[in-house]
Amino acid sequence: MKIKKITCKEVADYICETLGENLNSPKCKDIKDHLEHCEICNSYYKSVQETVQMYKQYKIKVSDDCHSRLMKYLDLAEFE
Amino acid sequence: MIENTSNDIEESELIAKAQKGDRKSLSDLVKMYESTIFNFAFKICRNHERAEHVVQETFFSMVKSISQFSGNSKLSTWLYTVVSNHCLMLARGEKRREKTFFNEDISDSPNYTPTEWKNHPDEIAENEELRIALDKAISKLPEDYKIVFMLRDVEGLSTKETADIVELTIPAVKSRLHRARAFLRDELNKIFSDENKKNYL
Repeated sequence: MKIKKITCKEVADYICETLGENLNSPKCKDIKDHLEHCEICNSYYKSVQETVQMYKQYKIKVSDDCHSRLMKYLDLAEFE
Repeated sequence: MIENTSNDIEESELIAKAQKGDRKSLSDLVKMYESTIFNFAFKICRNHERAEHVVQETFFSMVKSISQFSGNSKLSTWLYTVVSNHCLMLARGEKRREKTFFNEDISDSPNYTPTEWKNHPDEIAENEELRIALDKAISKLPEDYKIVFMLRDVEGLSTKETADIVELTIPAVKSRLHRARAFLRDELNKIFSDENKKNYL
């Protein structure tokens, strides 16, 4: 039986390169197999996913004052 | 991400009217994108005042040039290009790069230390400490890395769209994205490890 040797470093690099992309290549399959059996890499993978997700969810509300200043700056205040 | 929905038709009509001088339509376009562009600018500038300045300049460019907008690209793509350029110009003016601690070789030394992340994305709105941690981590990235990360991962643009906006090759975008993801993950891991030790978060 052929033993696939993928290092954790390769896995980490691959996760950061391909997160969110189509993971159907033969190498991706090897990575997935590795992730299933390597707790450290699996934890790393989840934390990279969560990093991206946290920044996606982080929203700032535009204050009314900030909005008013923008419309005034653009000379569009009459359409408030 | 600016959604690509049936609102596209409404947007096209607003652009057409604005190009004919209808200021109400122009105002509606500003309101349509204000929150998205402000959030983008804030995450790059990490400062309300600077973000507001960038947003004002971005929409000023839109108002001034709407008649020349050809419609070959999406208005959102055009706005991302303008806001990215304003962020970069502001950063260069302030020489903020000197303040960063980014290590270009970060991907060669990923931190594998497994840490239990007690936070979840849906807690961000209520968790001030978590927002501070996210600000702290991303503030250490150079502006061009932040912009690639924001466009690709947060706003959900394709690698090609991101490359066109930042005028980089696709491999260069992928490289920056890879390093930005690894760097942010490692920075947050360090913060969460410290916080866990203090049982703070």
